[in-house]
Amino acid sequence: MTNARILVVDDEPQIRRVMRTTLVARGYMVSTARNGEEALQKVRDERFDLVLLDINMPGIGGMEACRIIRSQGDIPIVILSIRNAEKEKVEALDAGADDYVTKPFSMPELLARIRAALRRSPLTSPGTPDLLNLGKTAINFVARRVTVDGTEVRLTPKEFDLLRYLASNPDVVIPHAKLLQAVWGPDYGEEVEYLRVFMNQLRKKIEPDPSHPEYLLTEPWVGYRFSLPKKA
Amino acid sequence: MSLLSQPVKVVRILGALGIVGGITLFYYRAISVNNVTVALSFLLAVLAIATSWGLIEALVASVAGMLCFNFFFLPPIGALTIADPQNWVALFAFVVTAIIASHLSAKARMQALESTHRQHEIERLYTLSRNLLLLEVNGRMAQGITNLIAQVFELPGLAFYDRASDRVHRAGPQDIPVEGGKLRDTALQGTVYHDATTNTTAIPISLGGQPMGSLGFQDPQVSETALHAIANLTAITLERAHAQDVATRAEAARQSEELKSTMLDALAHEFKTPLTPIKAAVTSMLSDSDMNPTRQELLRIVDEETDRLNSMLTEAIQMSRIEAGQLQLHRSPQALRKIVQTQLERLGESLEGRKVTLEVPESLPRVSVDPEFIGIVIWQLLSNALRYTPPGSPVTLRASAGEKEVIVSIEDCGPGISEQEQRKVFDKFFRGKDQRERIPGTGMGLTIAREIVRAHHGRIWVESEPGKGARFSFSVPRSPRESLL
Repeated sequence: MTNARILVVDDEPQIRRVMRTTLVARGYMVSTARNGEEALQKVRDERFDLVLLDINMPGIGGMEACRIIRSQGDIPIVILSIRNAEKEKVEALDAGADDYVTKPFSMPELLARIRAALRRSPLTSPGTPDLLNLGKTAINFVARRVTVDGTEVRLTPKEFDLLRYLASNPDVVIPHAKLLQAVWGPDYGEEVEYLRVFMNQLRKKIEPDPSHPEYLLTEPWVGYRFSLPKKA
Repeated sequence: MSLLSQPVKVVRILGALGIVGGITLFYYRAISVNNVTVALSFLLAVLAIATSWGLIEALVASVAGMLCFNFFFLPPIGALTIADPQNWVALFAFVVTAIIASHLSAKARMQALESTHRQHEIERLYTLSRNLLLLEVNGRMAQGITNLIAQVFELPGLAFYDRASDRVHRAGPQDIPVEGGKLRDTALQGTVYHDATTNTTAIPISLGGQPMGSLGFQDPQVSETALHAIANLTAITLERAHAQDVATRAEAARQSEELKSTMLDALAHEFKTPLTPIKAAVTSMLSDSDMNPTRQELLRIVDEETDRLNSMLTEAIQMSRIEAGQLQLHRSPQALRKIVQTQLERLGESLEGRKVTLEVPESLPRVSVDPEFIGIVIWQLLSNALRYTPPGSPVTLRASAGEKEVIVSIEDCGPGISEQEQRKVFDKFFRGKDQRERIPGTGMGLTIAREIVRAHHGRIWVESEPGKGARFSFSVPRSPRESLL
């Protein structure tokens, strides 16, 4: 997907400059925005395949921009930030980001993460049913749609991929690293906080009682397990 | 304790004599009654005098009454002789009763007076203590204390020597004749000074054996107990002011430290912003495989130095956070081996092919730590061991479990650390004298490690013998939930 369209949002002109030069050289189509407001305008007016979003910007800032973009669609968002505390990462993921890269970053690493964010796992893989009914929740893996009580629930691509990977390996404990590599890509494996945040979001969307999950279960210290209802 | 002046006393004695004379005249001339009535009347007069005026007046009245009774009423009348032995008994009974009654009633009166006086003093002490508590702590506080004591106890003059400022404060309409030197001596020696010629008294003020000053009074109409109570109240007020002052200073220091940390944090972030495009540009160029080797080597140098600058800034940010007290730990049960593995991966290329031997038993219990911060400690200790030892020399990381804690040791075979430097290695900005110029570093790494370990209620220490390598160890608590798994 080399001609993917990427929106680079950063208030630092030199960062926009280096990103544009490098990404264009790799065959991406690049547009830039200087702040959150401009980014929101561009996302409304044009179609992008990925947003690279700085956090610390004047105006509404990256975190809020991330929340708004996520509320409007499922475009992958990669956060670029100088802060590398876990708290900030979790906040960004909670706001709907798909990945978090700490500045300064090495370009090959960022490119790998861009590829990972753009990559969607193949529509079907062996072992995945086309349709899955979990009580009130129905998942259509072919159309990438989830409905609860007949109402469509919007899942981000990463959330959907995570759900599909777990559902295609029911009743098996999947370790954190394996899950991260399967959904995000081979360069991942340590970002356990990603799983915590995404699993929480998934539970909120598909579990009848998110604080007492029935399907998406935590295996302490090891990983996660998808529990298939006995009657299904 | 007589508070009366001499002339008043004389007038009262004359008054007492007058009363006795009046009774004598009344019974001798006006109405004729028997001797018992006369004696009882004298006795009543003596009791009234004792109750309202005092013992001396009552005794004078008793003697005068006895003489008049004898002379005018006991036969033979008109002479100080007594014919009937029965009348001797009557006279004797009158005298003894009068004297005892005078004594008792005068004593009761004194006690009543004294207790009123005491109560008054206590009320004043209470007023003083309340006002002292309300006194604002500022530079004029010592003068405020002096004014307050003089005003509440209506003292004609008061001098207060404040040892902290070495100044004497005075209050009241009169300037009392006691020098600053005497007051200072009283304060330092801790003994009461009294000058009988000027009737001045100076009492020391101290708290917990610590001299704080002294108070000088002239002829104070206040009991000694009250004087000491005033001194104690003053001491407590001074101590309260001192404690408040210390707290204010500490708060100011904390705020200044916080400001420094905030500035360091902001500065470090500002420096990281230009590093981002440099790093992005140089790594982008380096990923071009067709580049000529010289250019590639030069770019690699730029890349490595960018990383170094970045890690220095990261340390500065961590240090400023720690110093600002913003170290917020999110502790959970963690497998130490996993944290170590993550850090070895992070060290990546700086390992330069060197091997770190891990001796972490599979059965090691989990530890209750914040993995991010304990990761920083392990990273610091490992990168120190690698940086300060010759290439190729072994580095070992060992972990062992105690009853309540897990101890992690990182051992190298480098030049070691002298005993003198061992004491300072954890100090901020300290760098070994042999390494200062040869090996890059900020001198913050071990301080950061120490603060993180302390925040986990653990210990960190170093053991080394020059020439025989060094071993840095730290302890972290075992996870209490371990037994439930």
